[in-house]
Amino acid sequence: MDFFTAMEVSASGLATQRTRINVASSNLANASTTRTPEGGPYKRKDVVVQSATLGANLAGQQAGGFSDAVRGVQVASIVEDTTAPRLEHDPGHPDADARGYVAYPNVNVVEEMVDMITASRAYEAGISALGTAVSMAERALGIGR
Amino acid sequence: MGMSSIYLSVDRLERAMTFHRERHGVLAGNVANVDTPGYKPMDLAPVDEADAPGHLATTDPRHLPGPGETEAGHLSFSDPSGSQSADGNAVNIERELAKVDANRVRYSASGELVTRRLALLRYAAGDGTH
Repeated sequence: MDFFTAMEVSASGLATQRTRINVASSNLANASTTRTPEGGPYKRKDVVVQSATLGANLAGQQAGGFSDAVRGVQVASIVEDTTAPRLEHDPGHPDADARGYVAYPNVNVVEEMVDMITASRAYEAGISALGTAVSMAERALGIGR
Repeated sequence: MGMSSIYLSVDRLERAMTFHRERHGVLAGNVANVDTPGYKPMDLAPVDEADAPGHLATTDPRHLPGPGETEAGHLSFSDPSGSQSADGNAVNIERELAKVDANRVRYSASGELVTRRLALLRYAAGDGTH
């Protein structure tokens, strides 16, 4: 496992956290969207994260034995939150039902903000690990100068 | 002695740097999986060959393998009793980042020593004017 493998692992983490931030942004932007192409209010999206073995081209380079045990990370899927929409009584709203209730998305703004901060911190941690790999590789290049 | 000891120590330091490089990859994997459900952090420990004759004993997890030993360490799942979040993830991000930094310092220290050993060799091989 060389430094490029470590960088690849860190990059997979960064990509995953970026996806989480994008999804949280989408949820926040659509926190009061009552119309979607599928019909009905916007449904909150959730990111499913899973650890992933590295690409064969990278893991196969070194017969270190544990290259396959070291895991990167990837987004398995983006799923819809199936909890019920939030109902608000607003008879004047064009999307109100017969009883005067409007179905708003099942998005909790505070939860989304917390998700976004968590993802942002994890992203920073990934940047730090990536920077360390770079500085270690540069240190190795400095040998013999 | 003399020349051979310079080569010997460079060889040993090279193995130390390989170990720390591999360990960085393992720790980077932990950082990347900071919120993967069910993920348990891993760590790399130097191989303990204390039983083999003629080998240096490693009595501390931070000891490095002596000459002739396998350069890569063995993987372990660190601290299984550690705190876990509700999704089964046991990565402590602060601890992992601290390990990453400490590992980098050890790598740099070995790199610095290699540089100095080689400078010594260059000095000896040259006309002494450096």
